Amino acid sequence: MSTLRRGGRLGWLPLAPAVVLLLVFLAGPIAYCVYIAFTNMQLTGSSSTDFVGFANFRRAFADPVFRNAVWLTLVFTVISSLIGQNSLGLLLATLMRRASKPVRSLTGAFVIAAWVLPEIVAAFLLYAFFRREGTLNAILDWLHLPSQNWLYTLPIVAVSFANVWRGTAFSMLIYSAALAEIPQDITEAAEMDGASGLRRFWHITLPMIRRSIATNLMLNTLQTLSVFGLIWAMTRGGPGNRSETLPVFMYDQAFNKSLIGYGTAVALLLLLISSLFSVVYLRLLKTEV
Amino acid sequence: MRPTAPLILAAAATVLAAGSLTACSSGSGSSPDTVKIAYQRSTNNKVLVMDNYLEAVKKDFEKANPGKKVKLIPIQADENAYYTKIQQMMRSSKTAPDLVYEDTFLINSDIKSGYLAPIDKYLAKWPSWDQFLPTAKTAAKAQDGKTYGVPDGTDTRGIWFNKEIFKKAGLPVDWQPKSWAEILDAARTIKQKVPGTIPLNIYTGKGPGEAAVMQGFEMLLYGTGTDPLYDTASRKWVAGSKGFKDSLGFVNTVFSEKLGPQQSDALDPNVGTQVQTDWLPNGKLAIDIDGSWMGNQWLPTGGKPWPEWSTVLGQTAMPTQNGQAPGKVSMSGGWIYSIPAKSKNQDLAWKMIEQLQTKENAVKWTVQGAQIAVRKDVAADPGYLKSSPGVDFFTGLVQYTHYRPALPVYPQISTAIGEAMEAVTTGDAKPDGAAKTYDDALKTIAGDAVVNKG
Amino acid sequence: MPRAPRNRHTTERLATDVALLVLAAAFALPLIWLVLSSVDPVAGLRVHLPESPTLDNFSGVLTEEITFRPMLNSLILCGGATALTVAASALAAYPLSRYRSRFNRPFLLTVLFTTCLPITAIMVPVYGLFVQTNLIDTTYGTALFLSTSQLPFGIWLMKNFMDGVPMVLEEAARTDGATGMQTLTRIVLPLMGPGVTVVTIFSFIMMWGNFFVPFMLLLTPEQLPASVSIFNFFGNRTGQVAFGELAAFSMIYSTPVVLLYVLIARRLGSGFALGGAVKG
Repeated sequence: MSTLRRGGRLGWLPLAPAVVLLLVFLAGPIAYCVYIAFTNMQLTGSSSTDFVGFANFRRAFADPVFRNAVWLTLVFTVISSLIGQNSLGLLLATLMRRASKPVRSLTGAFVIAAWVLPEIVAAFLLYAFFRREGTLNAILDWLHLPSQNWLYTLPIVAVSFANVWRGTAFSMLIYSAALAEIPQDITEAAEMDGASGLRRFWHITLPMIRRSIATNLMLNTLQTLSVFGLIWAMTRGGPGNRSETLPVFMYDQAFNKSLIGYGTAVALLLLLISSLFSVVYLRLLKTEV
Repeated sequence: MRPTAPLILAAAATVLAAGSLTACSSGSGSSPDTVKIAYQRSTNNKVLVMDNYLEAVKKDFEKANPGKKVKLIPIQADENAYYTKIQQMMRSSKTAPDLVYEDTFLINSDIKSGYLAPIDKYLAKWPSWDQFLPTAKTAAKAQDGKTYGVPDGTDTRGIWFNKEIFKKAGLPVDWQPKSWAEILDAARTIKQKVPGTIPLNIYTGKGPGEAAVMQGFEMLLYGTGTDPLYDTASRKWVAGSKGFKDSLGFVNTVFSEKLGPQQSDALDPNVGTQVQTDWLPNGKLAIDIDGSWMGNQWLPTGGKPWPEWSTVLGQTAMPTQNGQAPGKVSMSGGWIYSIPAKSKNQDLAWKMIEQLQTKENAVKWTVQGAQIAVRKDVAADPGYLKSSPGVDFFTGLVQYTHYRPALPVYPQISTAIGEAMEAVTTGDAKPDGAAKTYDDALKTIAGDAVVNKG
Repeated sequence: MPRAPRNRHTTERLATDVALLVLAAAFALPLIWLVLSSVDPVAGLRVHLPESPTLDNFSGVLTEEITFRPMLNSLILCGGATALTVAASALAAYPLSRYRSRFNRPFLLTVLFTTCLPITAIMVPVYGLFVQTNLIDTTYGTALFLSTSQLPFGIWLMKNFMDGVPMVLEEAARTDGATGMQTLTRIVLPLMGPGVTVVTIFSFIMMWGNFFVPFMLLLTPEQLPASVSIFNFFGNRTGQVAFGELAAFSMIYSTPVVLLYVLIARRLGSGFALGGAVKG
């Protein structure tokens, strides 16, 4: 656009409400987060709050339960974001381009419905699905496959699949948009050359949508890192600590164990990890623009 | 849609929101004429014992104090979530209720946090206070010598068992186990002879929280020797004791031999409600290590009326580990009414406590809530003595009973015990390993106040 | 046209259809369970056809305490917060889209950066801050926070949409003596109707489903929105949980967002517009 101009001092005034809100309710808490993370604030059992330096962080790195939470967060992210949502989303988007219209619409409707449903409803549905008496075991029984109490034996896998169920639509939408942008003549030319479907996909389609893949991976990962309600409602991080990812660990420490300072230190670490991902994501966008 | 429609919609929504927001803030603010009481509502919607009782007292109070109102704030949650919520509420004067109903195990911790107000000035002028038993008077007495709450009853713990299942298994219906081994033997017999029932329920894990620690773990631990958890003489927490490992070993045995409920059920935060309203009344459970109040749901006023319970169920005392003196063990706790420090209506809140503790209401609650009386006048009341066949049995356990260490860090220690129990229940750790993890946690929580009795 | 490739195409399409249907079934099963259970008087945890379908589950939950009050709370909370998000982001997007400044790019990058931050991580300090400022347990405080949490994304979307509105008309209005605010409200916003609709509905859907924020910031039971009340309903599961009633309530609670989604999908031709917008 050629007619962009300077707005003058007053012209920037409309930015004020947004800036105030962001400073008070986002920058403020982040700053406060940094402060609490270095104190021993408690919900009960102590009236004073003292500065304790890096004690909370030292405690975290020495805490096997924290290390377990880091590990489970990694498992959760890899299964549900990298492998699950991302690959399944790409598969769905690819298949949908070739499928007949009614099948396409039907699939799209179900996948998107899972995404639009409120978090706790999704948690409830998947809880019922994975329960001992639930639908998954009914299907396994019918197929004469061994069934088990998924939420108890493999809770981290159950919640990961729940997250895949709920989050795949996002990847599907992004990939559908990306695939639609590939010029038709390129794929047709490859088809004429006799390249097989898989080779075409690998050598032509994937490179053409690689930016979308990167974008999608980043956004998926960031969303997955902050999942709390789904896990809390399905398993509360249990049994034991077998599905306790970092957000659940943070909540448990801050409120169930009343250690607000310690919980916040963990929150700060989570924030730092996410910031790293965000910066990488911004870099990616930059190369694209 | 016309192109301007979204804007109009947004503008309308803003106006609507602005209007309703101001309305809301005036609604939740406190009025000097209203007493707000926060209490726990059962997670089973049919269980409304406390709700009904408070509703009745509210009517009395509003009648006796014209112009004053009582606002009930039922918090429907499992125990852990309930404690978190009331602590969060008491942190701010905006949300602090005027009266909270708290488990005594939390009281010292909340006093230290400055959440509660001392009530000595009111107690001094309250004739009924003399009716309270000495142990009850100290239930809410803090290390500073001040009293922070009025207990409305106590409880003891023992064993409930289903005599019909015992008959089927060929076990005596006047069962009195002499040691832990005899309990496990009975459970094994039931598992073998009466398949399809849960032989033994012992609460365990993080989900049930303090219920698991007190009804489950401490009932075992206090039967292993004196001062097994906290050494009163040296004022230190005990680490590395054999009793601790043995107690975890008992839990481990129950679940590894599948003598208990399904692990996933046992670890559910609401297992207590399930035991009370389903497993026991429906004959699914043979032996239950549990509290004296179980019967409150089975009264005609309860959530699961079950008139046959007094003939179907037997009660017996929990034995010490190997039958060592005094042979029996029990734990006592109880709940109290306290006034949050940030309440703006403390005088009125005290009046409400007086209303809750008129002799008439005290008897009513002790009966309906299946409490063990803490007042001499209530204990002597014929209504209390006749209330249910279990009352005399559980009152008799008072001589064997123990109280939890009344210290501010207790809730955190309790959480650490819950985690150790959960680890041996799921089989994630052996008793030795779980006890070791507990010892480490103890050092973080209590610092220097730990003594090793390994 | 020769027959062979045509045949190949048909088989290929058939295979694709079958594969997609299998995937669709996996996504559909939990949803089917929800619908069936909501009309099943003896709903259990498995998918099965109710023998005597009934609406009792619905009439069972259509009480003030279970449905109406939480839904109204949700409406007030999310409606208010959405209105604020839309208003603040539309205002902010205007100078960002129309004026050139050194300040634009860093600001937009910061906005984009905050879009990615997990709100979950700052909930503990937000709770602490709300206690100290007495915003805890207030609907407006919670709405302000919810609104802010959606704001970065709202600004970003809104700015992109606004960039797509040609400036010719605005120039004309300016020449006629209209102020900046007048051009924004009378010319720009009406022209970007679809954009405003998307931001509005998307923000609303996100807030409607948000559980953690109201779970942390609201305490009094009668102020709780449906997202928290359904958690209490379901989180407190016990032996005889009324799965049918829970399913019925889930349906009622989900209906507004599903309808709204259908509305934007329709309005924008396909459901894929959001994907495109997110891609930036």
